[in-house]
Amino acid sequence: MLLVGCLPTRRVLSWVRAFMIEVLGLSKTFSGSRLAVDNVSFEVRAGEVFGLLGPNGAGKTTTLRMLATLLKPTGGTATLNGFEITRDPQKVREQIGFLSGDMGLYGRLTPLEILNFFGKLNGMDAAHREKRIQFLVTMLDMQTFAGVRTDKLSTGMKQKTAIARTMLHDPPVLILDEPTSGLDVPTARAIETAIVDGKKAGKCVLYSTHVMEEAEYLCDRIGVISGGKMKMIGTMEELRAATGKQRLREIFLNLLEE
Amino acid sequence: MRFPIVSAIYQKEMLDLVRDRRTLISMLFVPTLLIPLLFSVGTRLISRMQTKAEEEAKSMAVGVRVSPSLREALEKAQIQIVETDNLKDAVLTKTIAAGVEEISGTPVEVEIYADNSNPTSSAAAARVRVALDDFKDEKVRESLRGSGIPASVLTPFVVKRTNLAGARKMAGMAWGSILGYLLLLMMFTGGMYPIIDMTAGEKERKTIEALLASPATRQEIVLGKNLAAVTAILITAMLTLGSIVYSLKGSNISSKVPEAQEMMRTIPLDVHSVTLIATTLVPLAMFEASLMFAIALFARSYKEGQSYLMPLLIVVVFPALMGGLSGLKMTLLLSVIPIFNASQMIRGILLGDASTANFAIMTAANLVYAAVAFVIATRQFENENVLFRS
Repeated sequence: MLLVGCLPTRRVLSWVRAFMIEVLGLSKTFSGSRLAVDNVSFEVRAGEVFGLLGPNGAGKTTTLRMLATLLKPTGGTATLNGFEITRDPQKVREQIGFLSGDMGLYGRLTPLEILNFFGKLNGMDAAHREKRIQFLVTMLDMQTFAGVRTDKLSTGMKQKTAIARTMLHDPPVLILDEPTSGLDVPTARAIETAIVDGKKAGKCVLYSTHVMEEAEYLCDRIGVISGGKMKMIGTMEELRAATGKQRLREIFLNLLEE
Repeated sequence: MRFPIVSAIYQKEMLDLVRDRRTLISMLFVPTLLIPLLFSVGTRLISRMQTKAEEEAKSMAVGVRVSPSLREALEKAQIQIVETDNLKDAVLTKTIAAGVEEISGTPVEVEIYADNSNPTSSAAAARVRVALDDFKDEKVRESLRGSGIPASVLTPFVVKRTNLAGARKMAGMAWGSILGYLLLLMMFTGGMYPIIDMTAGEKERKTIEALLASPATRQEIVLGKNLAAVTAILITAMLTLGSIVYSLKGSNISSKVPEAQEMMRTIPLDVHSVTLIATTLVPLAMFEASLMFAIALFARSYKEGQSYLMPLLIVVVFPALMGGLSGLKMTLLLSVIPIFNASQMIRGILLGDASTANFAIMTAANLVYAAVAFVIATRQFENENVLFRS
């Protein structure tokens, strides 16, 4: 009874504070090796795009994987839409749409089959699935290839399928792990549009990248991460003011040198 | 555990599986096409070799160095003979099928030379032996007639042997040694590829991240995938069974012994036996699926998965083969050895002498193994070091 009573309160609280993602002192040590993520904290509001910017091996993927409950943190805590990642991993997964640069599509299935599968995993009934899939296929212009096995599709088509899968259950939080890595410009553009649309729809978007221009263009706030540590968090203006540099590239290099 | 989620995972895995060429080959092609082909080529080859040896034994001459009376006796038995000096060499160089030499002394020794590694020579030697025995009997009978003793003293009694095992039981014996082995072997290979694909394959193609980030629990994922693997294993088993029955029924085994022909033709598979065999195989399929799942999950790629599971094949083949051997009696202890117990039990079922107690113990043991393996597989799947091994 107590638990049932608690849940709405926590949700209301997080709504009042408007933090969809709250990360507090999150750390991860892989067995017998270095500290991959070291005491990282940040918050992301609904309707905000937050970019994790850092070089390869900075701990971006590990941080996002912990938030998506794929990895267990060795220290600290994080809540997504009011649900704590180690206590309520199940609930956390219901809040998120997760997408990585590898896309992770089943090659022998068609986009429609993949979308139906993930719809079922998200507990959507047949009518609801049908409606959402129809909507996404039209929105992303997937009609021509929705029934073709994904291993026969172009990278752009695959990317659209992966975006549709991420958005399918209309999650309040989007976690995108280097979603544009290895994509050509038009294909990366589809991801950027999806991020902007998500923001407009009031979603909380957290994504990682090492592409400066993209971060500068899309993000409301940027967190620069290096060697597992959060170097600085702020809007572009705040970052410029703090470092005295104009371009994000220089800000970034400046922070890494510290 | 939510059934609709498990069912969604199961359905997706089955769809993925029937579209995978490697799986289709191991699951459908090998049992339905390769086994009948091997059976038909094999039986045809064996019967052709037998016929050839018998014909050659008749047409190829037997070399002799014997007295005229013995020579006459051999000719009477319609054995082609030829005078040969060096009998042993001639047999070995295959210029004669066999050699017969008479060595004088008391008693006179008649020696037959044959190369037993050569079926033609063996067959010829056997014919010579029969002819010589007949000739010996004839000579004894002649002597008896001269001394006034009745010929009946030669046969004080006649030995007769009756095989009480009916055709059904004899067929059970012949089938029991091979059927269990083939079934267990094919079940393993039938399950191997789908399991590698849904574990290591999913890691290699990076599809596992999206799956793990979905609201499906780890247990639901493991159960759904395992059920698909069990289905694949049982389909392979059914196809193998059907295919062996079909190919044995269709093949013309030209055995000279009608009893042996009858034995191979009688298929000891009635509804009762099939039900028992199926009940034997289901817990085993569950055990195999979870075990392979837990091992293949360690692998980072499809290829690595194959090299992890291949050694397991030997672990399966050996007890499966041992279990088919006759002479081993199923004891309580043997009933709990996995794979071996199933192979033994299938033999017992086919022979019609499987004991209920052993059957119950075997089933219980295999169910326990299946449960333990499933728990291990789930643990593995919850272990991020296994899932994100780099």
